[in-house]
Amino acid sequence: MAEKSRSKRLMTIGGLIFLALGIILYFAKEPMGLNRKIYDLPIFLIIIGVCSALKGYMSKDKTEEEAALAGKTFAEFLTNNAILLAMLVLVVVICILQPRFMQIRVALDILTQSSTKLIMALGICFTLLIAGTDLSAGRMVGLAAVISASMMQTATYANRFFPDLPQVAVWMPIIIAIIACMVFGALNGFLVAKYDMHPFIATLAVQVIIYGACSLYFDMPPNNSQPIGGIRPDFAQLGQMRLFSGIYRGFPGISILIPIAVVICVIIWFILNKTVFGKNVYAIGGNREAAVVAGINVFRNIMGIFILASCLYGIAGVLEAARTAGATNNYGNGYELDAIAACVVGGVSLNGGIGKVGGIIMGVLIFTIIQYGLQFINVSPMWQQVIKGVIIAVAVAIDLTKYRRK
Amino acid sequence: MEEVIFLRKVFVTALILVLAFASCSFADGVKIGSCIYRFSDAFMLRFRNAMSSESTKEGAELVLADSQNDQATQDSQVDEFIANGVNVLIINPVDRMKSQSIIDKAKSADIPVVFINREPPASILSTYSKAYYVGAKAEESGIEAGEIIAAYFKSHPEADKNKDGKLQFVMLRGENGHQDMILRSRYSVEAISKAGIPPVEIAGAIANWDKLQAMNIMNAFIMSIGPENIEAVIANNDEMALGAVEALKANDYNKGSAEMYIPVVGVDANASALDAMDRGEMLGTVLNDADGQGAAAVKLAVMLAKGQDVSKEVTDGKYIWIPYQKIARGEKK
Repeated sequence: MAEKSRSKRLMTIGGLIFLALGIILYFAKEPMGLNRKIYDLPIFLIIIGVCSALKGYMSKDKTEEEAALAGKTFAEFLTNNAILLAMLVLVVVICILQPRFMQIRVALDILTQSSTKLIMALGICFTLLIAGTDLSAGRMVGLAAVISASMMQTATYANRFFPDLPQVAVWMPIIIAIIACMVFGALNGFLVAKYDMHPFIATLAVQVIIYGACSLYFDMPPNNSQPIGGIRPDFAQLGQMRLFSGIYRGFPGISILIPIAVVICVIIWFILNKTVFGKNVYAIGGNREAAVVAGINVFRNIMGIFILASCLYGIAGVLEAARTAGATNNYGNGYELDAIAACVVGGVSLNGGIGKVGGIIMGVLIFTIIQYGLQFINVSPMWQQVIKGVIIAVAVAIDLTKYRRK
Repeated sequence: MEEVIFLRKVFVTALILVLAFASCSFADGVKIGSCIYRFSDAFMLRFRNAMSSESTKEGAELVLADSQNDQATQDSQVDEFIANGVNVLIINPVDRMKSQSIIDKAKSADIPVVFINREPPASILSTYSKAYYVGAKAEESGIEAGEIIAAYFKSHPEADKNKDGKLQFVMLRGENGHQDMILRSRYSVEAISKAGIPPVEIAGAIANWDKLQAMNIMNAFIMSIGPENIEAVIANNDEMALGAVEALKANDYNKGSAEMYIPVVGVDANASALDAMDRGEMLGTVLNDADGQGAAAVKLAVMLAKGQDVSKEVTDGKYIWIPYQKIARGEKK
């Protein structure tokens, strides 16, 4: 018990110190001429302080079991949170090397870039939860991007994909693009459920098919494989709009992608935790035979998983097309691996049955922050690859040690 | 079954006869046989349209073949052309390193051959005195992109944001090791310094010709360097330039205000880039002149077929270089 109250008190006090430091710096930075040295650091300190203090204060009613968990040894705490700690160290290093990192707009930018990745990861987590995988995810993003962009060009653009297409309502191409993805998702599900094919090989086959089909579509005259451009502003807004911009001086606004991702997170959390389908996903992933014996319709659930996942990839693809105001058949290439890696870092087990929405959000954020931070201090892309690989390997190694300990 | 095979044989024979007759009827004028590596390539589409109109002008007959991106197909098409008695060949090789076989075929038939678009190595080209090349020098696209930026800098003194007389630029590069990436990067910077402005690369990254990657990278640069410290963006192609433009727009740059503007240049002159230039979001691009190259190739081929002296037309005895064309904002044709 003493252990518990000490850690709680530590958190509250630490939070309050951060908060106080933040407030002092906030008012001191103008007169002390620190504006160009610490940027928005005070605001970050205040936010961290408030969160930490609140968390320490709120966690009063811990049960005995949780208290025991909180009393874990320091070494265990270190290994369990190695990736998170590595990220924090990296962030501090980047802040020292390039103080511009401490800006609100950088944080918002990271959240924006995380949004589409998060949507992808939430889709792919379903396939990981049943101890499968989905290699076709990235190509589905490309398919959705190309289809939606091809129908969303301005009437005056010189190189239209469909020269005679009237100005259709924005929702129409989006629905068509997502449905196209869902058809391929259904194919994935069918191959896996009907023939009991390993998802790795089934989705690999579908990945190749999608890329070929998408390239054929992209190569249709008069487009002939030219990058699609001249995107209608109303469609581009879907990925570029910023909310609350300029409510105070210099506030860049919150990208529309962030609330979209939040809504999808809530929906997926609800599906996974509060619906029969969600319970079935965990059941199939945990022990397939037991699930069959328990009377779960595995065929229907697996179909559902792949179709739902492909719907999310489709959404991500449409948003990517809108955000970049363009598309080529190469969009989304390799996204599936990033999404799988983020899920794994976020604690989703490749053996199926284990994984939480919260963990996936953490995984995606950690990945994006590291990637963004390395790009920020202009680390060579080759080193970025090496570091990314190391993170994945370490994350999985830690994860497996944890399970073995249990 | 046998009947089908027989019918097929009859059909093929008939087809060959028709083709033979057709070719005989052109025998009096100049007849050009031309292989295009792939018909669906947008650049080559413009190229062969230019060739067709030029040969009509010259009164020559142009026969085009689609090599479907397969060198073996192209080789047999060349055989067919020679068998049909063309006077000259215009070849857009599928694989420029394997153009020796085409040269050998042309040599044994004593027909001049003009290569286009993809340059065979000099060691292969020099094996036949009647082999020529019409194309653009890759380094020129870099030089011209650099010149667009340099010209803008000279006419807009406010573009030198920190007033140090130097040009702080961001470079977005294509695929690592690609010939165009190396030459364009190198020569665009060289052109700027030749124009008397010392260039300083404050940041650069490989974005693999890709709009999305370029956008994310540019975003990171805007955040880490600060848009007020970037004086120009040089991209190896238009797609990456457009990615940079999107990132700038997301940070309220290049949206029409004169103070919030960073000049961006690309290469290719694709439709989206011209569109962005119309809206004032992009400064300029460089056009690989398909029309000029197509016309020059046909002109050279006709002269060769007629046995005229081409030594005044070509440089180094074998080459015609068609310059790239600068397209800067406001000067678009």
